[in-house]
Amino acid sequence: MRRTARIDAGPAEAILAGRFTMVTAGTRRIGVTRLANGELRALRDRCPHKGAAICQGLLGGTWLPSEPGELRYGRAAEILACPWHGFEYDLASGAELFWPQGAGLRLYPTETVAGRVFVIVPEARGDEPPEARGDEPPEARGDRPPEA
Amino acid sequence: MDLPAEAAAAEMVIDCDVHPILPGGLDTLMRYMPEAWNERFRRKGTVLAGTSGVPLRFQHPNGSVPRLDARGPKGGVAGSDPHYLIADLLDGHGVDIALLNCIQAGAVSAALSGAEESVHLARAYNDYFMQEWLPLDPRLRFAPTVPVQDPEAAAAEVLRVGRHAQVAAISLPLLNIQMGNRWYWPIYAAAQEMDLPIYLHVTGIESLIAGTPAITAGSFDSYIDRYLAMPQLAESSLRNLVFSGTFERFPRLRFVFAEFGFLWLLPLLWRMDRVWRGLRHDVPWVTRPPTETLRGRCFLTTQPVDEPADPRDLERLITLIGAEMLCFSSDYPHWDNDMPGATLRFLAPAQRRRIFAENPRRALRLS
Repeated sequence: MRRTARIDAGPAEAILAGRFTMVTAGTRRIGVTRLANGELRALRDRCPHKGAAICQGLLGGTWLPSEPGELRYGRAAEILACPWHGFEYDLASGAELFWPQGAGLRLYPTETVAGRVFVIVPEARGDEPPEARGDEPPEARGDRPPEA
Repeated sequence: MDLPAEAAAAEMVIDCDVHPILPGGLDTLMRYMPEAWNERFRRKGTVLAGTSGVPLRFQHPNGSVPRLDARGPKGGVAGSDPHYLIADLLDGHGVDIALLNCIQAGAVSAALSGAEESVHLARAYNDYFMQEWLPLDPRLRFAPTVPVQDPEAAAAEVLRVGRHAQVAAISLPLLNIQMGNRWYWPIYAAAQEMDLPIYLHVTGIESLIAGTPAITAGSFDSYIDRYLAMPQLAESSLRNLVFSGTFERFPRLRFVFAEFGFLWLLPLLWRMDRVWRGLRHDVPWVTRPPTETLRGRCFLTTQPVDEPADPRDLERLITLIGAEMLCFSSDYPHWDNDMPGATLRFLAPAQRRRIFAENPRRALRLS
């Protein structure tokens, strides 16, 4: 059984959709937010592409696939765009929104106890995925293997 | 340089870029135009021999783009005698199907004539080739040129010439309007309706005559300088087609980029996909990665094939680009032609079959 730490992220009512509450676990920075439906999401503040502090990116919706010349906006509070190269991640799943084979966000489970939110973080750094640098082979980067 | 006889015999060759040229200039087109337009062109002293409009500094340094050795027994410019072209290229080099593409008609239609003039000239060129060349040999196919300065007339011409069984593509001369612009929508709709790919090839007057695309900042110094810049036209056109949503707006339309080479495509594919991942929402109508969007919808002809010191490097690059995007072309009878027996010989037989036969069948309308 892997040892974990419970990181106190504060009162549940202070965790809001559309913004991050930041906590730290050792050297790791973690952002906590809510989806539009109220579900909590906790993620490592590190873009799997090139390591940017992704929680400083744009947290909102996006323009969904549409007919030529038309715009459709949706997924409010569920899409996180990296401040460096703009890769969009789906906070519901952690996956890159339109590049499913890419390495996704590192999500952490949460629990709410007596009105406070806790992030459950593995203690051993060896359990973390390799730090992304973007110029490594796909398997080292954490990309998902292509579907057969 | 030729393939072994057995391999050559077993191999189907579809040549996706062959250049016929009008013999006799305006006189040859007279019977295909109304009298009033004939008189107009005659009084103006219209010259339709060769690709007029190219100034001295960009003339070929050896004096002729058409090969001097491909003139045939009657003389004249190479590509002007259909009987010799059939004997020399089709019979002589085992070409099973050859797509005729008259770039002279393209230059005339793009900018050398006015918009109204171009409607009559393009139609006359097309009728000339359909009536005087195509009946000579069922192996001949044709990419008629449309009067692109008038999109509605061009669309009507697509529907007219598209009824001919040997018409396999629509040659669209390049204007100084990006290829995804709504200017072309009537033409694209008509081509899609007729199941004909849009065929893009330089007309030879790009960046020389107002109305044609500027290829680079400033002018060129020489023929060689200008010649090497031409793939930039294909790169900008392909990029604009992708991000304008043209492939989504016309979901069955295919494009063929002819005589731009193809190695330039690889970094463009990588870069388009990478930037699309980050900025997709700028063009949300591009619903799939550009590389996926182009598969089966966009084809590049092979000539001029680049020649690294070790041809295996080229094989690796073709695999990375995706061999399914490439179609063999000779560019006969021009000076930089790649004849089928001396081109891409190092590829595995299956790969050659794709490029020389299977992909052209997907790209062109070869009914």
